[in-house]
Amino acid sequence: MNNFRYFQNSKRDISKLYRILGVKDKKELFGKIIGDIPLIKESRLQTLTEEMDEGALYSFFLNIDSIIPAKNKTAVFAGGGIYNHFVPAVIDSLISRSEFYTPYTPYQPEVSQGTLFALFEFQSMTAEILGMDVVNASMYDGAESLAEAVLMAMRLSGANRDVLDHSGGLILISEGINPNYVSVIKTFIGDTGVKIDTVKLDGKTGQTDAADLKSKIESGGRVLAAVVQQPNYFGVIEDLEELEPIIHYNSHSDFSASHFSDQDNRNNRNSEPFFVVSSTEPYAFGVINPPGFYNADIFAGEGNSFGNYMNFGGPLLGLFAAKKEYVRQMPGRIVGKTKDDKNRDAYAFILSTREQHIRRGAATSNICTNSSLNAVRAAIYLSLCSKSGFKEIASLNLKLAHILRDKLLSGGIFEPSYLGDFFNEFSMKIKKNKNNITAVKFIEEMAKKGILAGIAISESGILISATENSSLSNIEKYVENAKEVLYA
Amino acid sequence: MPKFPGIKGIFLDEDPLIRQSSKGVKGISIPGCGLKKSGLKKDESAYINAKYIRKNSPKLPEVSEPTVVRHFTRLSSWNMCVDSVFYPLGSCTMKYNPKINEKIASLENIKNLHPLMPVFSIQPVLKIVHDFNKVLCEFTGLAEFSFAPQAGAAGEFSGLKIIKKYFDLKGEHRKMILVPDSSHGTNPASSVLAGFTPVEIKTGKAGMLDAGELEKFISKDIAGIMITNPNTFGVFEKDIKKIAEIMHQNGSFVYMDGANFNAFLGSAKVSDMGIDLIQLNLHKTFSTPHGGGGPGSGAIGVVESLRDFLPVPYVKSSGEDDNNGNDAITITAMAINNSNDNKNKNCCRTFYELAEDKKYTIGRMAPFLCNFAVVIRAYAYLLSLGRDNIGSVSEIAVLNANYIKKKLGVILSGSDPFEEGFCMHECVFNDKGIEENGISTLELAKLLIDYGFHPPTVYFPKNIHGAIMIEPTETESIRTLDNFIKAVKEIRFKTKKSKAIKSPQRTKVGRVNEVLANKQPVFRY
Repeated sequence: MNNFRYFQNSKRDISKLYRILGVKDKKELFGKIIGDIPLIKESRLQTLTEEMDEGALYSFFLNIDSIIPAKNKTAVFAGGGIYNHFVPAVIDSLISRSEFYTPYTPYQPEVSQGTLFALFEFQSMTAEILGMDVVNASMYDGAESLAEAVLMAMRLSGANRDVLDHSGGLILISEGINPNYVSVIKTFIGDTGVKIDTVKLDGKTGQTDAADLKSKIESGGRVLAAVVQQPNYFGVIEDLEELEPIIHYNSHSDFSASHFSDQDNRNNRNSEPFFVVSSTEPYAFGVINPPGFYNADIFAGEGNSFGNYMNFGGPLLGLFAAKKEYVRQMPGRIVGKTKDDKNRDAYAFILSTREQHIRRGAATSNICTNSSLNAVRAAIYLSLCSKSGFKEIASLNLKLAHILRDKLLSGGIFEPSYLGDFFNEFSMKIKKNKNNITAVKFIEEMAKKGILAGIAISESGILISATENSSLSNIEKYVENAKEVLYA
Repeated sequence: MPKFPGIKGIFLDEDPLIRQSSKGVKGISIPGCGLKKSGLKKDESAYINAKYIRKNSPKLPEVSEPTVVRHFTRLSSWNMCVDSVFYPLGSCTMKYNPKINEKIASLENIKNLHPLMPVFSIQPVLKIVHDFNKVLCEFTGLAEFSFAPQAGAAGEFSGLKIIKKYFDLKGEHRKMILVPDSSHGTNPASSVLAGFTPVEIKTGKAGMLDAGELEKFISKDIAGIMITNPNTFGVFEKDIKKIAEIMHQNGSFVYMDGANFNAFLGSAKVSDMGIDLIQLNLHKTFSTPHGGGGPGSGAIGVVESLRDFLPVPYVKSSGEDDNNGNDAITITAMAINNSNDNKNKNCCRTFYELAEDKKYTIGRMAPFLCNFAVVIRAYAYLLSLGRDNIGSVSEIAVLNANYIKKKLGVILSGSDPFEEGFCMHECVFNDKGIEENGISTLELAKLLIDYGFHPPTVYFPKNIHGAIMIEPTETESIRTLDNFIKAVKEIRFKTKKSKAIKSPQRTKVGRVNEVLANKQPVFRY
């Protein structure tokens, strides 16, 4: 028994504990508890070395860190669900307070007002940005959040899982949804009776094809939800104003419902699909109209852009929002404002009868641990941005992405994939080049030059993003190196 | 040294930031990006169709950097946390979160790494995930882990999905999962989410599942059992091997909820108990911070026959194992220095890539590989301890819990439902003892706050009346435990009901009105 620095009990304390419990040693203690299950012989462990002292441990990771080509060595122009935004020093400073990062879920509100208040501000600010009534206290990430949104739409459609297994039902998913998000949705609902059908994109604009959406909704199957991403996976801004009345057909008098006349429940809200909007980059809503503006029923997407690092892909920050009439079917924790016994403002988790620790098998979701700390980071970030900074930075994203795209097009080496408007991400095709370089190869070659040029999405297609972290000089470096890689 | 840490203090009040706004103020530095202001077309409508453009900016606060810093610093002072108090929240393993791990996870390049970097440039990062996987396999005796699940409940879900898919492929439609009545709420919730019907089994008198009782439930409809071990009473399931045998004979799986794995870390392998699948909550057993509710990581591990069902993507290695890590660093260093790819591959034995070729995979759980910032902290924790100290984790955790069990067992006489024998990493009491003094479990929890302790988990498990569930972890001292025990003793014998109903009194706010909160919900300012 060593005295390792994380253990407060000394060797003498340990001996004392054994004495008090009336057992001799670990072997006897564990023997009395776990019987004939063998004890691990520590000296025989093969995958773990002897203890590393703190200095050696730090050097080990510092060495790895110094090799990895991120931060100052690589200019990041890849998005695809995670974006390279600037993180102000204030966030790291505040979030390194133990009072934020070492407690757990605020089960005891009287000693957790700090976390609860910060989460309440997070809910309030993100609700403003999304234009939605209620945002919860976070999900794991955008993909899981969207899968939960689909499940919620299924519940709201009045059909529980068993019924759906038999009667079926359809979820329409735009081709413009991040493919990894679609995979996660399939993991969640792949084995239910509910089928997924894809609504194609308009080949020219890259927007969800309204005519295809309409025909799929009218095709006779019971459509439970229609899901679009804003801006979509290819960076294109969707025309939600055009799509919404097609989805909410009962709510709009100008829509011909003749096709549905055979349905008894055509006036029932539940017969109408739920309009689910996702986003991997809600920073866009600093410039473009938010999902709530277009009457979205549920929003589920990624909030990592607000004050969080990319961290090689996780943890992320799942955003989940809905109209307030659907709040009782929402997954996850929700902070509400209330009073204490002296009538002072206080905060607590509310509507917990939706949750697994109360409802067990009948809960709206199994989620327990979420992304609370990332949400607090987002709250700090959005506070720092303030009203004008948020808009200004969003606008900067828009402009830099357009500058980059213009330069790549005028260089004559790329052609656009789509013509639709975009925010800070867009897709391009590499023109036929003398080196016959594919998108994958192009990205590998550019990486060696210190540029993460984007994400390969087809043989010649690349998804490229620019943020406020993309300086003009890096944009120029991108263009020059691209020419060299393709034509040198 | 005061008798108890909770004495007095000053609380600084704070308004929501939205009420501290001054028009036009902001707290962020806008990047210059090398742009000349004159060179930019000013209006957004020069770039996108005006019909998309948001006319009213979101109503965020308008505050400066120091205002934000003071605001959140004050907020933080209203929290109790592991670094400031004893936090014996049962089933949550609130152990000390080592500071060096925070520093490592905050290394500049690691935290700024995009997940879709070409794999040749991130070999050492993939190697961390790969090697950590191997360590977890050795500690559990299982064949492979996936780090895709973002937390414990996601781990449960992925494990159950694996079981579901296994039977679907076999053409067997097993619909039921057995779940003990003492299980965490996530167990039945995850079962339903994965398409199963959870069937509750009653726990026996000694707090354990009885193999004989289990046999009554066995049929070809049973896909598996979700068993928490040690269970939520902190009791080791003595029949575990027998239970596993019964399940396996029926062709069913044994899933272990690994939330309580701290009881076994470095001491026992779950494979020796007949476990087929387990999720490990890295934010519990492996010391990563709980973050006020998250993030976590719920790595899912399986036996050999289920490897091909694990979620994707995963880190695949080709070539021999690279024990000292030099290859990973060489490949990356050479690649960045722009030498030829093929040469790199040839000169090094091991190459890591992100693969999706799992034949029967349940699919994706998350957009990218894993919660890497959590994984790296957990790995650093294991490297710090090393094989010489790892076994002490569960040993001291079990000793500390039994010390509390023994001492409080005397003070709360008649309240220990499982008086016989030892507990593992946590112990549970009912409210009989404190009720004799007219104090309820809720009041005990609130009174403990004023003494300067975070309350234990209360009213769980449901089948213990007024349950008080205490998990001290290995990182607490006898001195702290004695202090806590003394506080419980005062509450049991001296505290007046009139004081109990008014507690806590030393906190920022008093007893929170949860009825009002639910009756007229206010979700935002």
